[in-house]
Amino acid sequence: MQVYYLEFFVVALGLVMLMVDAFAKLQDKRSLARLGILGLGVVFLLLFAVQSPSNAASPVWKFYAAPDNLSLFFKGVALLTTILSLVMAIDFAPIVLSKIAPPDQGAHPQAGLGEFYSLPVFVCAGLMWMASANNLVSIFVSIEVVSITFIILAGYMRRNVGSLEAGVKYLILGALSAGFLVYGFAWLYGITGSMELGPITEALAKPGVNSTAAMFAFSLILVSLAFKLGAAPFHIWVPDVYQGAPTPITAFLSVGSKAGAAIVTLRLVYPYLTSPVLGTKALAILVVIAILTLLLGNLGALAQKNLKRLMGYSSVGHSGFLIMALASTSYPGAVNALSPVAVFAYYIGAYLLMTLLVFLVLNVLNAADTGETLDSIRGLAKRSPFLAGILLIALASLAGVPLTTGFIGKFLAFKIALDAGQWMLIAAALIGAAAGFYFYLKIAASMYLDAPSSSDGAAIPVNLLTKVSMVILAILILLTGIVPNVIVKLFS
Amino acid sequence: MTFLFYFFSALVLFGGLGVVFAKNPVSAAFSMVISFLGMAALFIQLDAFLIGVLQVLVYAGAIMVLFLFIIMLLDVEEVEKRKLSLPTVIRAGGVGAALVVLISTVLMRGGTAGQALPKLVASPEKSDVLRIGELLFGTYWLPIQIIAVLLLTATVGVVVLSKRELK
Repeated sequence: MQVYYLEFFVVALGLVMLMVDAFAKLQDKRSLARLGILGLGVVFLLLFAVQSPSNAASPVWKFYAAPDNLSLFFKGVALLTTILSLVMAIDFAPIVLSKIAPPDQGAHPQAGLGEFYSLPVFVCAGLMWMASANNLVSIFVSIEVVSITFIILAGYMRRNVGSLEAGVKYLILGALSAGFLVYGFAWLYGITGSMELGPITEALAKPGVNSTAAMFAFSLILVSLAFKLGAAPFHIWVPDVYQGAPTPITAFLSVGSKAGAAIVTLRLVYPYLTSPVLGTKALAILVVIAILTLLLGNLGALAQKNLKRLMGYSSVGHSGFLIMALASTSYPGAVNALSPVAVFAYYIGAYLLMTLLVFLVLNVLNAADTGETLDSIRGLAKRSPFLAGILLIALASLAGVPLTTGFIGKFLAFKIALDAGQWMLIAAALIGAAAGFYFYLKIAASMYLDAPSSSDGAAIPVNLLTKVSMVILAILILLTGIVPNVIVKLFS
Repeated sequence: MTFLFYFFSALVLFGGLGVVFAKNPVSAAFSMVISFLGMAALFIQLDAFLIGVLQVLVYAGAIMVLFLFIIMLLDVEEVEKRKLSLPTVIRAGGVGAALVVLISTVLMRGGTAGQALPKLVASPEKSDVLRIGELLFGTYWLPIQIIAVLLLTATVGVVVLSKRELK
């Protein structure tokens, strides 16, 4: 099977879901989400049936990279993230329904829910296109599919002020960042005379390249990518949007959008890092951004009282570690034992597992109307030992406790920075990791040690699908924490 | 030709400033039309006739008429004057000035000079429209399909977000 069929299967699935929603009289629209989960699961299995291109001359390869481990891995990340977000969206249905426009007279009582389940499937297709884009045009259009759909989803609960604010903020800042991206692309095209990443890499490596203009293009593109990654100093939107958006969408945004931005960053930054003329300059900029992101993200999280907001800052902090791996790239001449791409991919995989696990728990708490502040989960262990245990594993992994996947991710990031001799970065990362230990484990401690905030002692109900997803993610976190070689081997 | 370039560039900038500074939304919309017309003239100067014509027909024509309709339907009077505090003005001005300095530095250091862009191939037997169509639906079929998905999701989203009562 040709690799570019995958996205069309996903788009077709989304269309089927929209059609079923419109024409089949479903009793309960939540079965649409189950259909989506099933379909995406099938596409995930098809990832293993991808063949190498049969017709290398087809114009599609000008826009779409031939399948390699990296792009297939990121397609898998996109699919898994979407599946888990849909799992969360099933639990979240009552809250969405209470915050969108009321149904018309005689309309289905769940009107508006079908779109909430179909749109993430289209985002998934966009993320999968991003994973394979090797041309400035296809990079731009796939980024726009993802961000425009995210604007709609973030502001979906429009009778909720927070969600509306999230939508509007993401809309305005997203448009600004798209402007920077296109302006940077225009300069890049002017300098290199090509839209394809292959010829761009060759042109940037030539000694005669105009380095002022090339670095200008680099910084414009980096502004936009840092916005998408949530990297400082373009991270201001992250906490507000994460807090306001519906919880399943926050989870989707924090993992899916970041993974998509990460693979695009990897593809766009590499031509600069490997260029003998521009490599050191580009590296210096990345180091500054990584240090700022590590510090602002992790230290900013210390003062947070709202769990979703805290996860926003945590996501910024993790971007710092990602960029740290990228900034430790060995430019020509240096030898690095570990491939930065492997570290990058491993970190994204680990981030997916632990962040989605936290959001799965938060989503259940949200749906049970427990609130989302730190106070609301005090003494959770007494009330729901299962949820508390799952959240403990996820938080330990986010903090980087040994024997979890988060530890291996951070370890690899430190190792590669050490190999590259980036001492400033290591110092910032140490401060960030220490702050992380404090605020993640503070939550864990309050779950286990404090007395419950309310007298309501009944266990919070968790449905089977959510429970199974939680257990699988928790097992994967521990498994990849103990035997990390599987993923690392894939990329070395 | 150079004079015309500067003339139409000035028109574009004049229109752009009008959009920002006009107090009445209708005048702001018309300033945008002026800006689009100037842009269309610039495209035509670059021999991109089809894009120039589309700019006039689609942007200046259809989209701006829609804009005006909405402004008039909503009956937006003058926008209330926003009070800008001095620190805001200084910060925003600083960023703007820094960007101008940056861009002029880059341009002064040669811009993209030295790098020849791919030559445009003239083919008198085929019209502009035909060649753009061939490119869009031949070589560029994948990005076009992706944009189709983008338009679909945007349409679905607008309907869901804007209806007062959902069907």
